[in-house]
Amino acid sequence: MSKDIVLRVVDIWKRFGQVEALKGVSLDVYRGELLVLLGPSGSGKSTLLRIIAGLEYPTSGKIYIDGEDITDLPPYKRDTSMIFQHLALFPHMTVYDNVAYGLKIRGIPKDEIDRRVDEVLELVRIRHLKDRKVTQLSGGQQQRVAIARSLILHPKILLLDEPLGALDLKLRKELHIELRRIHQEVGNTWIFVTHDQEEALTLADRIGVMNDGKLIQIGDKWDVYEQPKTRFVAEFIGETNIFECRVVEVYGDRVYAEWRGLKLGVKTDREVKPGESMYLSVRPEYIGLSKDKPSNEGYNIFHGMITDEVFRGSYVMYSIKLDNGEMVKVTVLSKDAEYDPGDEIYLYWRVDKGVPLKE
Amino acid sequence: MKTEVDVKRIRMFISNIPSILYILILFYIPIVILLAISFTPPRKFIVEWVFTLENYVNVFTNPNYYRILLNTFWIVIVATIMLIIIGFPIAYYLARMNRRLGAKILYFLIIPVEINYLIRVYAWKVILGENGFLNLLLISLGIIEKPLTIFFYSWVAVVIVLIHEWLPYVIVPFYVNLVGISDEIYDAAMDLGATRLQIFRTITLPLVKPAILTIVFLVTIPSLGEFAIPYLVGGQSGIMLGVLIDRYLSGFQLAIGAALSFFLLVITLILSMIMIKIFGYEALYTR
Ligand SMILES: Nc1ncnc2c1ncn2[C@@H]1O[C@H](COP(=O)(O)OP(=O)(O)OP(=O)(O)O)[C@@H](O)[C@H]1O
Ligand SMILES: [Mg+2]
Repeated sequence: MSKDIVLRVVDIWKRFGQVEALKGVSLDVYRGELLVLLGPSGSGKSTLLRIIAGLEYPTSGKIYIDGEDITDLPPYKRDTSMIFQHLALFPHMTVYDNVAYGLKIRGIPKDEIDRRVDEVLELVRIRHLKDRKVTQLSGGQQQRVAIARSLILHPKILLLDEPLGALDLKLRKELHIELRRIHQEVGNTWIFVTHDQEEALTLADRIGVMNDGKLIQIGDKWDVYEQPKTRFVAEFIGETNIFECRVVEVYGDRVYAEWRGLKLGVKTDREVKPGESMYLSVRPEYIGLSKDKPSNEGYNIFHGMITDEVFRGSYVMYSIKLDNGEMVKVTVLSKDAEYDPGDEIYLYWRVDKGVPLKE
Repeated sequence: MKTEVDVKRIRMFISNIPSILYILILFYIPIVILLAISFTPPRKFIVEWVFTLENYVNVFTNPNYYRILLNTFWIVIVATIMLIIIGFPIAYYLARMNRRLGAKILYFLIIPVEINYLIRVYAWKVILGENGFLNLLLISLGIIEKPLTIFFYSWVAVVIVLIHEWLPYVIVPFYVNLVGISDEIYDAAMDLGATRLQIFRTITLPLVKPAILTIVFLVTIPSLGEFAIPYLVGGQSGIMLGVLIDRYLSGFQLAIGAALSFFLLVITLILSMIMIKIFGYEALYTR
């Protein structure tokens, strides 16, 4: 993927009366990527999408598409198309009429409309439903109509606002695969909004995490998962253990911190000083378990007792009470899960798997 | 197995008998009696049980009745169109504003319905009548010298009072229909490139078909039988079929009154059929 910027969002603020929905969001979106904006309810995701689509006007800030300032353009003059949270299909129309809507409005000749409708329905694989009323379709089929209705206009940027929110888990998973396929076939840029971290990890090339009207972190989905910058990001994406500790010794990028009477090794590029407090995030799958005391260099090793196990199908999550009384979550693949509650155990993780957070 | 189903059916049928009887007695038996009377000779005060088509021949040949029928339709159609033109924008703005506030304003628009209808008609007399507010205003402004009678006792007065009478019944169905259309639908149309006018034509208008159908059944068709308003404010140009029927029935010329009633009923039925043909039954329960 080339790093050619198609959409540029610059310092967008948006106020609704007393509510500050967006507080200075800046964002570059690359051509052809599938960017997922992830954030809890009320974090401003929909507002940001609506501003990009032109359905809402920002209090301040600018939007550029291919270098052109489009902040003041109405929606119908923008090369974007939006798929809404509740799809917003036109209930009084057939699939054909819904999909053809944007072209009919523009006065495109009928035979070209027919050709393009067939083409896009083929792409989303519902050509056989062309003459059905949209109210007579299943949730997944309606989803496809909504996508076709937007894609037929060949938008440079497709904006999707939690379009799978209303569907059950199995159907969502099916559609995730379909969405990725369609995205690859069409090759345009997608911005997909969701509050479901699993959905984000499944779909995204890159993930942007939003909270409280701000974009907290954006990057490759692996980086965001493995190197969260703040406690919010670490806890919002995936499961994690957060250790609240205090820096005691610093040797370059090697830091020792005190955590409830235990000494932890941490690796960090950040400037830290002894006495500073620090949050450390360690993902449960990066922590290993062993009955005998391991003697590995470069690992943090602690002793504790298993208090609980939860079977989650392909893996098991253990709750472990350390000797200092703190609880730690550890996940182990089911095939290696040979421990029981009550077992005395050693747990260990590589020093560089602990991620210091900026709070 | 089969008998079990039959028993269920019979039970169901029996349990429905009271409601069927209720409908029969309250709605259809009076109609049947009226129908029978319409085929008796036109006599004052009495019903003579002899079969004749005389009344219907009369209805279909007397040009006076046609004139009044046309007048009735003219008044009701003008009133309906005006009602929709006035009622739709009000409902539209109520539906698009803050839900709470919209519902409150709607409530205050409906309250006048609770006031007795004759009182309201007389209130119009105070405004439109010969010594009414409008005439006084025009005289004091020097626009006219003598009070005009055209405001009152005319078909225009009937239309005005009908509009006043029925406006809430037009706003409410539109409002209910319009609040059911989510903002997302309008946003989607705009996003797909539609201008405001195009959205109105391709989205709003087709989606308020159920409201229009409701209004035709709730307002237009009942108005065809209206007699009090034309009687009180209609004068010569504002006469309607209902006035005539009322005149015959209260003058104890039951037979001809009954025939005219049936004439009106059949026209109403045909009109309903046409509406349903145009909009489809579904319009009544889906959007
Ligand atoms: N039209 C509006 N008027 C007033 N406040 C609004 C409006 N739209 C959004 N808000 C407020 O702005 C904030 C952000 O809303 P937004 O819809 O963007 O959140 P979101 O991240 O999409 O949430 P969700 O996941 O629930 O859809 C919220 O506090 C919301 O109440
Ligand atoms: Mg939202």
